[in-house]
Amino acid sequence: MEAIMRLGRTFVPPWLERWTEKHSSPLVVFLVALFLAVFLYGIVTTDNFLNLFNLKTIIRDAALVGIMGIGLTFVTLSGNFFLLSMKETAALCIIAFAMGMSNGWGFELSLLATMGVAVGAGVLQGLLIGLGGNPIVVTLGAAGVFIGIASWWSDNLVVSFRRPNDAEWLGTGSFLGLPNITIAFILIAVLAEVVLRYTRFGRQVYLIGANRAAGKATGHENLPMAIKVCTIASVCSGFVAVAFAAQISSAQANYFSSEFGSSGDMTILVIATVMVGGNSIMGGYGSTLRTSLGAVFIAVIDNMMVLRGFNSGPRVLAVGLMIVFSIIVFSLAQKGSRAQE
Amino acid sequence: MLASSPLFQRLKSKIVDEPDLTFAVLLAAMVYLYFAVTNELFLTHNTTFAIMERFAVLGLVALALTLCIIAGEIDLSIGSNAALSAVIIVRLTDSLGAFSALAVGVFISTLIGVIQGYFIAYLRVRAIVLTVGTLMLLRGVALFAAEEKTVMLTDFRVTDFIQTKMLVYFSPASLLVVAMFVLVGIFMRFTKYGREIYAIGGARKEALAAGINLKRPMIIVFAISGFCAGLGGAIIGLRSGTAQALGLQFLLLTGTVAAFIGGVSILGGKGGVVGAAIGTLTVNFLNTGLVFNVTPAFKVQLYLGVLLLIVIMFQTGSRLFDAQQRRWAVLQAVDLRKVALLEKKQRILDRQVPT
Repeated sequence: MEAIMRLGRTFVPPWLERWTEKHSSPLVVFLVALFLAVFLYGIVTTDNFLNLFNLKTIIRDAALVGIMGIGLTFVTLSGNFFLLSMKETAALCIIAFAMGMSNGWGFELSLLATMGVAVGAGVLQGLLIGLGGNPIVVTLGAAGVFIGIASWWSDNLVVSFRRPNDAEWLGTGSFLGLPNITIAFILIAVLAEVVLRYTRFGRQVYLIGANRAAGKATGHENLPMAIKVCTIASVCSGFVAVAFAAQISSAQANYFSSEFGSSGDMTILVIATVMVGGNSIMGGYGSTLRTSLGAVFIAVIDNMMVLRGFNSGPRVLAVGLMIVFSIIVFSLAQKGSRAQE
Repeated sequence: MLASSPLFQRLKSKIVDEPDLTFAVLLAAMVYLYFAVTNELFLTHNTTFAIMERFAVLGLVALALTLCIIAGEIDLSIGSNAALSAVIIVRLTDSLGAFSALAVGVFISTLIGVIQGYFIAYLRVRAIVLTVGTLMLLRGVALFAAEEKTVMLTDFRVTDFIQTKMLVYFSPASLLVVAMFVLVGIFMRFTKYGREIYAIGGARKEALAAGINLKRPMIIVFAISGFCAGLGGAIIGLRSGTAQALGLQFLLLTGTVAAFIGGVSILGGKGGVVGAAIGTLTVNFLNTGLVFNVTPAFKVQLYLGVLLLIVIMFQTGSRLFDAQQRRWAVLQAVDLRKVALLEKKQRILDRQVPT
């Protein structure tokens, strides 16, 4: 190990060496280097991977998960771990939207009603979390409630609405060669980053996440913050639900549970984007930019594996490995720092 | 006469000492009575047998989650672990025979638990962070092991064996689970290692300062959790003769509801095996009763979610109330001392005035 490190040192530029010494242990560097090697090998040897059309496909695949991940990042950054009810909130919203559309309410009114449902769901969870309930257990219960209501409301059937409708532009339209959902993803990512960096609310999120006691002492209670961040996450879920329903002009309560993407579970995939991006799960460190990159990265790996003809088993395995890998790398890199407590 | 008997006194002190357990017993009795009164089929030997059959699987999951929550952590990967074990056992039964397949599957699940516990203690991450990753990872492994298909048994003799009726209410599976409860209960209450688990949950920093090595209790907890998940998956898989890699995810919600009804606290260090058993029975009464009333599965999920939220609100509320009471008591004590001091001051002043 020592010999490999010495050999490696002759090839690395000094700034990189200084950076690695400051931030990480040799093991982390070794793991990251190994991963990069596999990644580069994949890029070079996979057919049809490096072309413009495929890159657009990747971003489009990343968009829906990425938007939800951006919403969840606010919750994670504010020190409230994550919500296990992301896909169930989306299920409730997709049924609400499809019900509105099939009753002929039109796009704007349905969207408004859906956002109302999302805000309600977010406020409910935020209230319970802010009062001192554990986020994991509260959202586990809320998940059961939301999916139950969604199935009950739709009688567990597919709710579809007729096809020339005024929601189609969001799902299937495109602008300047990019699908509208991709553009929405980019806009939301930029907006979230600006909010987190340059507004008072964004700095409060970081403060409460980094040190809850200090936040409380300076008058920033977790209760209003939990309500706000949970509402943001729910609204992002609701938006994804609307975009997804607009794409296929129908809705069912288990669209997000069973057959979404490769993994079969949207919530865990969303949590994966937050973790793979390298946000601190304990809060206070990270950004939505990291989450967006995490979403794109997962989409890249998934795309590569599809192009090489892998089944769903290895692809789910790869996402799981990425999560565990990023946990190990980031916690080793931070070992001994305050983020441990 | 009755009130003065020692048995009654002991019962009374037990009720006063453990309000959570009393609440759980009352809730279980209420749910049972409700269904027993409204449905004449509920109060039969066959229904009780069916409830015990459900207890076999759900009890194991609730036991595992209870132990994790006592240690101040939560194991989200329990459903995936159970599914993996079910897939492995159902696939291997034809070639190896049921007994060796069971041993292999449960061993793998326990090993996964040990590895998880080791990494949680070594990396000092919260268990939810790591187990959310292993949830996905194990699901991938299970898909891989099942080749993305539903695997099936060809020989149903094992299936018949584990469902044979014994002692009116039990089957081999539920007897095994009851024995498991007794063993884990003795372990948690009377051994040093069991007490360590309570210690790292209730007061982690103090426990570490007192010299407990975090790795040992963590590995034990997650090993038991993995063992329970593996055995639960095995029972489900062998009983139905089929296994799906993406199934069994409902176990997490149901098991958590049972654990919380049984009186664990999310802060850790509270609750026990008896509570887990009673919580599981409550959920089973509810489940079975709702099935008798022809309730669709999603409504059962809705009721369970509502139940979990109510229990959480109850717990949080009582915690806030306790904190307020304590603050009030402190202020009272301060006031009392202030009164005494003021009197003393007055006496001194009175003495000084004449001179």
